[in-house]
Amino acid sequence: MLDHNTTLSIFAKLDALAGGLFLLSAFGMVAMRQVLAYLNLFALQSVLLASSAFVLGYQYESNHLIAVAGITLVVKAVLITWLLRRTIDREVYARREISQALNIPSSLLIAMVLTIIVYFVSSPLLSFASDPTIKFNLPIGMAGLLIGAYVVTVRREAVPQVIGILSMENGAFFAGISIASSLPLIAELAAAFDVLIIALVMGLLTRRIHERVGTTAVGKMVSLREE
Amino acid sequence: MVDRIVFNIIQVLVVMTFAPLIKGVLNKLKEIIQSKRGPSIFQPYRDLWKLFHKDEVVSEQSSWIFRVTPYIVFVTPIFVTLLIPVLTGYPLFFAFMGDMLGGGFILALGGFFATLAAVDTANPYGPVGASRTRMVGFLAEPVFMIVFFTVSFIAGSTIPYIVQKQWVTPLANFFDPSHILLMLAFLMLIIAESGRIPVDNPSGHFELAMIDESKGLEYSGRAAALMKWGGAMKFFVLLCIFLNVLVTPWGLAQTEALSDVLLAIPLILVKMFGFILVLVVIESSLAKLRLFRITEFLGAAFITSMAAMITRLLEM
Amino acid sequence: MELIIILVIALLAAGLSLIPVGKKLAPAITNIGTLAIFLLSLRVAFVAIKSAEVVALKNWVACDSLGAIILLLVAFVGLTASIFSWGYVEKRVAVNNPYKIRRYYALYNLFLFSMLAIPMLSNIALVWIAVGLTTVSSVFLVAFDNTSESLEAAWKYIILTSMGAAFALLGVLILYWGLNTVGHGPFTWAELVKLSPGIPGDILKTAFIFILIGLGTKAGLVPFHTWLPDAYSQAPAPVCALLSIAESTTVLYVILRMQPILQGAAGNYAGVWFIVFGLISVGVAAFLIIQVKDLKRLFAFSTIEHMGIILVAAGIGGPAAWYAATLQIVSHALAKSFAFFATGSSLMATGNQDIASVRGLIRTSPVSAVSLAVAGLAIAGAPPFAVFLSEFSILKAGLTSGQYIASGLLAFFIVIAFWGVMYHINRMVFGRPEPGSKGIPLRASNITALLLAGAPIVLLGLFLPGPFNKLVHLASILLGR
Repeated sequence: MLDHNTTLSIFAKLDALAGGLFLLSAFGMVAMRQVLAYLNLFALQSVLLASSAFVLGYQYESNHLIAVAGITLVVKAVLITWLLRRTIDREVYARREISQALNIPSSLLIAMVLTIIVYFVSSPLLSFASDPTIKFNLPIGMAGLLIGAYVVTVRREAVPQVIGILSMENGAFFAGISIASSLPLIAELAAAFDVLIIALVMGLLTRRIHERVGTTAVGKMVSLREE
Repeated sequence: MVDRIVFNIIQVLVVMTFAPLIKGVLNKLKEIIQSKRGPSIFQPYRDLWKLFHKDEVVSEQSSWIFRVTPYIVFVTPIFVTLLIPVLTGYPLFFAFMGDMLGGGFILALGGFFATLAAVDTANPYGPVGASRTRMVGFLAEPVFMIVFFTVSFIAGSTIPYIVQKQWVTPLANFFDPSHILLMLAFLMLIIAESGRIPVDNPSGHFELAMIDESKGLEYSGRAAALMKWGGAMKFFVLLCIFLNVLVTPWGLAQTEALSDVLLAIPLILVKMFGFILVLVVIESSLAKLRLFRITEFLGAAFITSMAAMITRLLEM
Repeated sequence: MELIIILVIALLAAGLSLIPVGKKLAPAITNIGTLAIFLLSLRVAFVAIKSAEVVALKNWVACDSLGAIILLLVAFVGLTASIFSWGYVEKRVAVNNPYKIRRYYALYNLFLFSMLAIPMLSNIALVWIAVGLTTVSSVFLVAFDNTSESLEAAWKYIILTSMGAAFALLGVLILYWGLNTVGHGPFTWAELVKLSPGIPGDILKTAFIFILIGLGTKAGLVPFHTWLPDAYSQAPAPVCALLSIAESTTVLYVILRMQPILQGAAGNYAGVWFIVFGLISVGVAAFLIIQVKDLKRLFAFSTIEHMGIILVAAGIGGPAAWYAATLQIVSHALAKSFAFFATGSSLMATGNQDIASVRGLIRTSPVSAVSLAVAGLAIAGAPPFAVFLSEFSILKAGLTSGQYIASGLLAFFIVIAFWGVMYHINRMVFGRPEPGSKGIPLRASNITALLLAGAPIVLLGLFLPGPFNKLVHLASILLGR
């Protein structure tokens, strides 16, 4: 029971701490009601992702991962957050409650169940983990991905859906920085910009929907339905 | 042997003496943050003194429960004090009697009687407060359970003295994600259990919105004093568990020298002062939740403790 | 080198289309550009037949025979759709609005660029990025009408496919992890196939599931297909033709590329999933075709159906089935682009995409009526057309390899879909025309595009040219180990 203490270094612990908080922020996104709080939580999650990348990069002396941490910080925590805040007028942010298909306590329970599923899905993989950090980053990232997917499905507002998708990507990257740490930087650079472009395009589209339809409650748009 | 009994008694005395002070400091700090002068930090002592010298009025309709409850509320925190590390890092004479779960049950017994007594007098506000307290308690219970299970899962024990050592040997354990998340969950529990904002407003005077306070409305004189004192001690004991077992397991007496034990008294007070500062910031920056939002608050605590459990599982 | 030039041309055309000169320049540039791209891709295909792989940048940009087929298809549809767009956009989408026309062509070229990149990128991480780019560049084409319906469709489209992209990203990363457990080779398809027997099966399976779900969303597999009929029904017809190739065929190509990787460690794991997913898609789409009320949705469901057929064919396995699957990819892409051009012409002729309100098209607009009828027959798989040939060889391969249940179900669903498509098309083409329906006369460019796109579906159904047959054959080998 106590032997893991000797095998896990302080770096692994710090990484695990970032992982635990990352998971908590994913849960927080399920529980948040206000759009602005939700956005801030996303920024926090991105910072956690960056810090995990930084810790891993420092541990393995990989400049490459530290660069990833920097890119994440600049693109996700700063640029995208700023962009999304600019996208729509303050009216949506001022509104207190996001309409949601399921109430929050049951959503949290579903998120919980998803996490437990992830635990079982990822446990056969973890035996191939060459590094202790994979044991945190892979399952927690996967859980972040699934919880994000759940959030996108339940929320009916445009901006929370966008943030949900970005948090899914955060989850995938959180797993990625440990399992695919040597992926060429060019690919990760491009991926970061891909995320930025997606956020930009979604922001533009949200704006257009707001101009054209007068609301950003995309969940209420049901003119295209299977008969 | 005799030493340990003496230390145990010192421990109880410390809790009895300083519990009102902590309340007083908390109230004062809160008022200062709200740019008011506030009552003296010794005001709770004066209140107790005043109440002890007043006549007691007991409703003729009430049963023995109403009369016994103040004593139970007063005694249960003292019992718990015997079990937990307040001043020393090693188990004292009575510590064999129970673990953290036992302590939790003893505290719950006091709460149970307070609830019964509130219903007993048929004062309309009592039952309202009692049912709300039960609702919060009912939701907080599973979280308590998960927190305790996670703690015992990590440390391999529910004895607070063993758990406390777990976090600092080696120091890296302190940064264990499950530990940090547990602290967070436990903090939320303390807020819910001791009726602080955002769950309940302890300084509110509007009976309809009260949760915790309305239970004691019918008491007067000595019984009221015991209830208040008992409540303060319960808060103190909860903070002791939180601080000495989870957050800052340092600064406790490690040897059996009397000087060490006495030195631990100011240290625990300093720790509590630090925590109270945090609590005051939380209380001043949040608004009280609507009654039905409390579910979400405790749901968040539940999720946090589950997240702690999961990260712990992943580590293995 | 040709590969790089192709990408540069597409990007250049996108930039040049924005030059604010009249309303003829942008379509002219796009037509010339796509023609050049098509000719270059033809050259790539011929080189691929001879030397198996065309390399521009080792381990980054290269194109083998399977990639060459996809490239050729995208280039061909890009060419015909750009010709069809000439008349369609000017007369129907952006009526005499030069600014909108220029924007349309810029987006069109950008979209084409991202699609052309998918088959020629070797690095799988870059393939994922290219797939992401196709979404981003096409979403405003879907929302081009700027009505509330089209915005809704675009929103559903981008949200669902981005969710899929995130899933696929995790799958790609896990795949890379798997590759790193056995060595530090470049992250390319060829390398993965070579090293896959040493990679732990669990890692490959997990990566595969995530990629299948993620890209399956983008390819429109049931149950992740909900965005697809909406997007198709709102996008302009030439864009639908491109979507049907980009979204579906090129993305499906990426999924199919996973199959040889999984055969090393995990038996026929991928094949089972392909058959199950494929049959669900074919079945659900076949029954949805019957209840459809909108012409574009009809062909959208038919796309889902065909994606399912290709998956089943790949899942059945064996050289014959893989050959048939490759042939099906080609024949479907050709027939579907033609079908969307036919839809576009009927839309121009009647101004209405609602099936119930279009009757007697044969009297009001014979050209679009004939092309619609041909498109229906071609896509449903009637004998003289290419789809019939490929579907027939799929069923044959299934029966000879002993997959009786899968082949039986597939045949049953194909028949239902055939009946569904022909039922709707029949009602539109024949019958009594509604009085007073007025449309826009077809332009020469529309008819050229119809002829260009229609020729190969008939020709390939009758005989397969030697080099083409060789290319399909080479490509089908790449689907197996």
